[in-house]
Amino acid sequence: MELQFLRATTGLTGMAVAKDPHVALRVLYTKTLAALEKLPKDAAYRQHTEGIINDRFDLVKTVSDVEELERKINCGQIEQVIIQAEAELSLARKMADWKAWEPLVSEPPEGQWKWP
Amino acid sequence: MAACLGRLLHSSGNLLRNGAHLKRQALHTSARVLCSNASGGLTTIRPQDEVMRNQLTVFGEYVAECLPKYVQTVQVTSQNELEVLISPEGVVPVLSFLKDHHNAQFKSLADIACVDMPTKPYRFELVYMLMSLTYNSRIRVRTYTDEITPIESCYSVFKAADWYEREAWDMYGVYFSNHPDLRRILTDYGFEGHPFRKDFPLSGYVEIRYDNELKRIVQEPVELAQEFRKFDLSSTWETFPAHRQGSKPLMDTQGRGHEAPLEENPTEEKK
Repeated sequence: MELQFLRATTGLTGMAVAKDPHVALRVLYTKTLAALEKLPKDAAYRQHTEGIINDRFDLVKTVSDVEELERKINCGQIEQVIIQAEAELSLARKMADWKAWEPLVSEPPEGQWKWP
Repeated sequence: MAACLGRLLHSSGNLLRNGAHLKRQALHTSARVLCSNASGGLTTIRPQDEVMRNQLTVFGEYVAECLPKYVQTVQVTSQNELEVLISPEGVVPVLSFLKDHHNAQFKSLADIACVDMPTKPYRFELVYMLMSLTYNSRIRVRTYTDEITPIESCYSVFKAADWYEREAWDMYGVYFSNHPDLRRILTDYGFEGHPFRKDFPLSGYVEIRYDNELKRIVQEPVELAQEFRKFDLSSTWETFPAHRQGSKPLMDTQGRGHEAPLEENPTEEKK
């Protein structure tokens, strides 16, 4: 990747400027897709998340300018996008343990949610 | 306690949004009489925000679709607040999903509230109030438990849950498993019982006084004069007559709504 101008600050406390956001995002999205592979094909979570990740991954692959990429993803600065990707990766891994695509684990007792 | 606070916050937010809405309409369409009554003044009826309602409905369905194992019901209240009713096993998965998923990002746990309804099969209802700073929206996750069923602590998801769960434990006696430090938070040292339970006496169990002979503070079981012993404990509950399941209909055949049973005159008791 060619050297480009790094901005001085993100303007948000505790969030450092990402040195190479494209690489970071590429690694994270590849890992997330691999984690999603382990879920069953018809799980709604897998389908929706794969849609989101693939959209963003395509943008990361095609757009090289960081500011342009931020505009196209339209979900905050690129550092925030990285944080979101990290969160999704950990969630996708946990989902495999929880098996959240299974049918309802317990029905509510009669009258539990009733409110006059 | 916290539940009331949550309600307040919600309503104030709505008010703000309302105000903006009204102003915008007044600016743009002075000819339209949407928000004015016959005499020309503004009505106090809240305009329905259909767009927001649809958004919330769609998102609620999305959550239910992604987590069919845990989500029992999704509902949008009349004030456009999204509520996800989940089974108690799914507290950590649902909260993690709402926190970490790209389309949710509810990164902030505003509050955990508890409600005690002794007539229900599981008497305690836990309400988790989340906020998404990214999408500027709020969501409420509700679940249920009782005195002996421990519920999974969500400290691993939200660090803010630490004190909220201690508060729920202190006030209601809801036990959270895997909480790092579950102990009293609001009540005094040596306090007995959980004061926000409906069956907790208004006077408490013990009273404290300074003993002149012992030169220290002593704690004794509460002793009340006879005239202060009668409390009208049923009054708060009777404001929701539909809670009396299968006892009486809301209206009798003469069309009178029945009031709270008046055994004694409450003014007499108070003196």
